[in-house]
Amino acid sequence: MRGRPRGILLTLFLLWLVVYPLLMVVLDSVRGPSGWSLAQVAEFGRTPEEWQALWGSLWISMVSVVFAGAIGIPLAFVFERMEFPGRRILGALVALPAVLPPLVGVMAFLFLYGESGFLSRIVKGAFSLEDAPWRLAGAPAILLVHAYSMYVYFYLFTRAGLAKVDSSMIEAAQSLGASRSSTLFRVTLPLLGPQIIAAALLTFMTSLGSFSAPYIFGGGFRVMTTQIVSTKLNGNDAMAMVETVALAVVALVGLALFRWTSSERSVAAVGKGAPPARKLEQPVARWLAAVVGWAVAVVVLLPHATLILISFVPMRTWTTQLMPPVYTLGNYGALIREPERLRPLINSLWMAVVATVAALAVALWAGRAIVRRRVRLARVIDILTNVPWAVPGTVLAIALATTFSVNAPWAGRWVLVGTFFILPLAYLIRNIPLTAGPVIAGFRQLDPGLDEAAASLGASRWATLRRVTMPLLRPALLACGALAFATAVGDFVTSIVLYTFETRPISVEILSALRQNDIGIAAAFGVVLMLVSAGAMAVGTSR
Amino acid sequence: MPKTLSRVLLGATLFALACGGSKGPTPLVVYSPHGRDQLTLMEKTFEAANPDIDVRWLDMGSQDALDRVRSERANPQGDVWFGGPSTLFIRAAADSLLVSFVPTFAAATPERARGAGGFFHAVYETPTVIMYNSDAVKAADAPKDWDEVLAPRWKRKVLIREPFGSGTMRTIFGLLIQRGMKSPTDTGPGFQWLRRLDAQTKEYVLNPALLDQKMVRQEGVISLWDLPDILQEQKKGSPLGYVFPSSGTAVIEDCIAIIRGAKHLAAAKRWVEWVGSQQGQLLTARDMMRLPSRTDIPDDSLPDWVKMVRAEMKVAPMDWSLLADRGADWMTYWDRNVRGKGR
Repeated sequence: MRGRPRGILLTLFLLWLVVYPLLMVVLDSVRGPSGWSLAQVAEFGRTPEEWQALWGSLWISMVSVVFAGAIGIPLAFVFERMEFPGRRILGALVALPAVLPPLVGVMAFLFLYGESGFLSRIVKGAFSLEDAPWRLAGAPAILLVHAYSMYVYFYLFTRAGLAKVDSSMIEAAQSLGASRSSTLFRVTLPLLGPQIIAAALLTFMTSLGSFSAPYIFGGGFRVMTTQIVSTKLNGNDAMAMVETVALAVVALVGLALFRWTSSERSVAAVGKGAPPARKLEQPVARWLAAVVGWAVAVVVLLPHATLILISFVPMRTWTTQLMPPVYTLGNYGALIREPERLRPLINSLWMAVVATVAALAVALWAGRAIVRRRVRLARVIDILTNVPWAVPGTVLAIALATTFSVNAPWAGRWVLVGTFFILPLAYLIRNIPLTAGPVIAGFRQLDPGLDEAAASLGASRWATLRRVTMPLLRPALLACGALAFATAVGDFVTSIVLYTFETRPISVEILSALRQNDIGIAAAFGVVLMLVSAGAMAVGTSR
Repeated sequence: MPKTLSRVLLGATLFALACGGSKGPTPLVVYSPHGRDQLTLMEKTFEAANPDIDVRWLDMGSQDALDRVRSERANPQGDVWFGGPSTLFIRAAADSLLVSFVPTFAAATPERARGAGGFFHAVYETPTVIMYNSDAVKAADAPKDWDEVLAPRWKRKVLIREPFGSGTMRTIFGLLIQRGMKSPTDTGPGFQWLRRLDAQTKEYVLNPALLDQKMVRQEGVISLWDLPDILQEQKKGSPLGYVFPSSGTAVIEDCIAIIRGAKHLAAAKRWVEWVGSQQGQLLTARDMMRLPSRTDIPDDSLPDWVKMVRAEMKVAPMDWSLLADRGADWMTYWDRNVRGKGR
């Protein structure tokens, strides 16, 4: 239009941010002590344990998708389509695993279902068993945690989809004589396709990059994320790079497959709107639904309750008793009183705020470029904002540590390792897909005439953005900003690789407290993190 | 909304600047596996005598510390690496990650405590021992030597700290491999032994705290671990006991070093000198159960347990440079061919 670089600047920026570090890792994986070498790659290919780890990551992720879907989709139907006492509040409670950050959730599971956790002790006591009834270790433990923390994706996405399914289609099917089940399988579920695929993608990627659960419960079970860390710990950096590349390749192939499946399924339906929730007429059915709903909510909230309970237990007072014998507020006091414990709290908050604001800015920039200015590189920009989905946290952390440990400004590399910029930068990159998706979608729904009206009234571009576009996008900005903030504030995977004394976040402090056997302190940190996430989510969903 | 946003942005930026730009005492960043209790005590005591230095420690496993020093090579963030077996420090020195600095207390320590080239120095001697839960196992029944840990009665009752991140476990495994060696490449018998240990092992535990916790809760009753940690736990009332293996044990030279490129070199030197001073060594011996490496401390000022341990423990011969050299390969081999294969 005006001969300006059409989206080139943004494209270059995104390339530098999300692709360049990955490229550095790829280069490092084929660099030996003396020049280029494929020796490490060959060694990877030869070693069955490496393939075992890769396969472990892959099948755990696929099974996690199945489990999470099997829990989340039916729950969504129950809460969206049936009317029973307590439906609204229960419907909100069921989404609460989302406020447990990964490491905190894993910790809660350990105290609840672990070998000497509450539940196993109750069962052990009830049946007077000699040994603990089960062990929380290996693949089943990882899958349990994944299913619990990720069914929420299916639940929320399916509910959102169901709210938009047009009731006229369902009525049409029924008037043509379709049974209820064939309407479900041939009309409703296909209409939900995009939502279910989006949830599946999110679950798959999150499982593939999942670190906390295999790190704490894995034992001898190999997945790639923990394999990378232990290889690096053993001093074999080159091999760690090859492993990193292998995991990234699997993730990128996964992303491509999902995008390919979802591109053909987009059904726009505008009509009568969603059917109202069906009121269960028979009192027995209503109460049954309510009881089942409450039972589900209790199971869902047990980890939260465990965490809160343990946060009141002073150090070393709970050994082999069923319930902790002493409760005090001491752990919370320590968080506030001891400056070196308070510091991580403040660190996490400011880094998450900076990363979220920056991610929203990038999202607005991308949205304007793609939707308003319709730059030629729109498709490339869209894909680039999605790439971080496919980059597991461990991979991103190692990529950033590699790229930004060299000072070569001409190549876009600065020494950022060990400075306080690197963690907010990492959070920013992980947040870009979270913010860009909804903001770009939001831009698509805006009337371009509003911009033109503002411009014709003499508003500058900045003023238009501030006073017209952003207020209109407010719900989207708030929602995805809250999600991004909660993700950053609870991050563990990238933090553990990149933190410094100045920037050590809550999750690293939790790990350190666990290392010291300060379970009460760790739980208190976990509760704080949980409340912060819950607060952010509440702000994000407020209208 | 836009106003709130820009205010938040401004606030966050100002806060970030304030965090980075504070002036005051010289900060001294210490990477250490010695744990909150010991580090807090040492920090407070040292700062009281040196108000111009602000000690900031980061708690991590010793192997994690090496990894961190290595990955921060381009922009070192730490000044001192405090804690870990000499094998790790030998590797770090070989990778030019450390500064050569011979502290004055070096003369008061035995030859084995002094690192080659003055790059690192042992301040504590950490004996490795067999640990047991003293509620579940009577002292008379506890294994007396390494081989007794393989007895059928302990099947699935042994807990082992995940060895990858742990200098202590790597040392114990190193000793167990070296014991069976007739030549420097003869690792067969050692790995065979470890395979039998793997068959006894119920679980590889992520970190020392979880190990202690699981031992206390009797999820397992036997483990291989280091003495100071057990003594510390005993002091806090945990039902844990220990045995010095009768055939001899590995005594870890627990070292300290200054990181190359340390931003606060002078402060780092003062910290190292203080840790090895009589005062520093006595502080940690009395309160933290650390066995001093220097031998010139008068007997009557040493706590009783130090004298007892020195009399009781039998040191096994070890080739430390062989372990430093081959340790990583042995661990890779163990991970691929031993872990989980004994059952």
